Amino acid sequence: MVQVGELKEGDTILKLEDIHMYFGKVAALAGVSLEVKKGEIHSIIGPNGAGKTVMMNCINGLYRPQKGNIYFKGERVNALKPYQRAELGISRTFQKLELFGGMTVLDNIRLGRHIHLKSGILSGSVYAGKTKREELESRKFIEEEIIDLLEIESIRDKSAHMLPYGLQKRVELGRALALNPELLLLDEPLAGLNLEEVEDMARFILDINEEKRWKITCVLVEHDMGVVMDISHSVNVLNFGIQITDGPPEEVQKNPEVIKAYLGEEDLYSTRR
Amino acid sequence: MSSVWLPCGDYHWNYAQDQGWWQTNFLKGKMILLLAIVFIGIPLVADEYWISVGTMIGYTAMGALGVQLLIGYSGLLTLGHAAFIAVGAYTSVMLILQFPWPQFLIDWGLAYPISIIAAGIVAGLWSVLFGLPSAKVKGFYLILTTMAAQFITVDFILTQYVSQIGGRGQAFSLPPGTIKIGPWVIENDIQIYFVMAVILTLMVIVLANLLRSKPGRAWIAIRDNDIAAEALGINIVWYKLLAFFVAGFMAGVAGAFWVCNTAALSPEHFQWFLSLWLVGVILIGGVGSIQGAIFGSIFMVVVMELLQMGAIPLAEYYPKILFDFAYIKDMAFGLAICAFLIYEPNGLAYRWWQAKNYFNLWPFSY
Repeated sequence: MVQVGELKEGDTILKLEDIHMYFGKVAALAGVSLEVKKGEIHSIIGPNGAGKTVMMNCINGLYRPQKGNIYFKGERVNALKPYQRAELGISRTFQKLELFGGMTVLDNIRLGRHIHLKSGILSGSVYAGKTKREELESRKFIEEEIIDLLEIESIRDKSAHMLPYGLQKRVELGRALALNPELLLLDEPLAGLNLEEVEDMARFILDINEEKRWKITCVLVEHDMGVVMDISHSVNVLNFGIQITDGPPEEVQKNPEVIKAYLGEEDLYSTRR
Repeated sequence: MSSVWLPCGDYHWNYAQDQGWWQTNFLKGKMILLLAIVFIGIPLVADEYWISVGTMIGYTAMGALGVQLLIGYSGLLTLGHAAFIAVGAYTSVMLILQFPWPQFLIDWGLAYPISIIAAGIVAGLWSVLFGLPSAKVKGFYLILTTMAAQFITVDFILTQYVSQIGGRGQAFSLPPGTIKIGPWVIENDIQIYFVMAVILTLMVIVLANLLRSKPGRAWIAIRDNDIAAEALGINIVWYKLLAFFVAGFMAGVAGAFWVCNTAALSPEHFQWFLSLWLVGVILIGGVGSIQGAIFGSIFMVVVMELLQMGAIPLAEYYPKILFDFAYIKDMAFGLAICAFLIYEPNGLAYRWWQAKNYFNLWPFSY
């Protein structure tokens, strides 16, 4: 399934086939398949320990599944390391915050531009001409596209570890965006945020998915059912490493197995709050 | 860089200004004053003794900058930096003494400058060799692998084999007049001081520039969070080895500089204690700061000299103190590190930053 050239909207951008991932004897993923179309927001939901984050890590390359194939834009990427997948255009945020605490917000986002910069140690140590120009261009991009979008102008010079949690989440999104990715993996972007911050974050996700400038395909892992059902185009439901169902949110909501998997939660659509 | 304090009513109009080095006239003046003091003031005012103390400070700072890059910026703990300084020193001295230089290079005084660069490259590659374990191990285990570099390089290869080349015995003596840069023969303390000042300034510029461009950010990212760094497209192993190379290069240049400051080169100049000493210097100066490496060097060298000055009059009453002075020095080193870790774990650089902030806002408290 090799595809050449730019993908159109609706083409398969990411495909997982029969992924098996074991930790010792524990099967975190037992034969999960997934297909993400370009331009959509694809959510993966499931109870705690269902293997959602493991799946993210498999797509991103932090874990290597023992069995199964991962295709990105028609190319098999199983053997690629995380940084090589980032160069292909896969970016991500983390469930637990993984910001670079010793850097300023601006430097964190600048680091996201890493794969787009060309300077090495020789040109970097002189910091003139090409290096200076590309640093300025990258700064312009960061300021005008990312900082402006995420409304974090006032904190750009603050040290990342000093920020409140909600802002750190936002900075992490900015850092992932700086790669200018085609596929963005969002691992629980709403966890631990208050209502207002959840609304902001959902708005940002919709913005980067729909705005002409970005048009980024998103894979979203989230527990907040209200938001998930609202913004996603299709949903996968996992439980104990097995896929229960997939489809558009309206269908998934009606599936009796899904309701069973969420046993104890009387109303699937009610949020955690 | 960007968190520079700007006076009221002073604004940046473009990104170039905001990313510039010396963003206000005050900063510019301050840095020019600093350079003037280093290059003109000290050589004019200080006597020969304090000039040589200044040279020692510079040499320590050159080594400490490399350690700072590894420990402070890349998070790669190292306790074998003296090995790479030694490799640089020996590469330089071997090139000067043994290499069949074309006569015109010697006449133009280029042999030593070329050997400095060659020393940097050889030491950098040697450092990469011992940095290879960092692909797999972190933290305390890396300390042990870098210590292996120290013992293999200095105690085994240099002492047992390299020192025997040419049948000179343990030390390589340098005949007067061998060290020549351009038209100048480097022979007195002032000239050595100037060589030091030029090399150190260049090193600081290079390191500071690296840290605000792509490789430097990658190093800091690996230090802070290697998983996130890899997910964002950084080839961790490559950048770790690059850090080892650059740090080794700086160590090699420092070693090659040491050649002009000594009459005879021997492995005893590069014992393991020097590695430990350099780590102590950055702990005291402040981990993760270029200024820290320099403050730490100034502090350590000057305190040791003051101790020595204090010990000499005491010797009248307690003669043994002079014989024991080496041990007293070690003890003071240990005590200084303990005191800093307890009372100022962020080092002198942090104190400097606090003081600057205080005066930026003076007379208001916030």
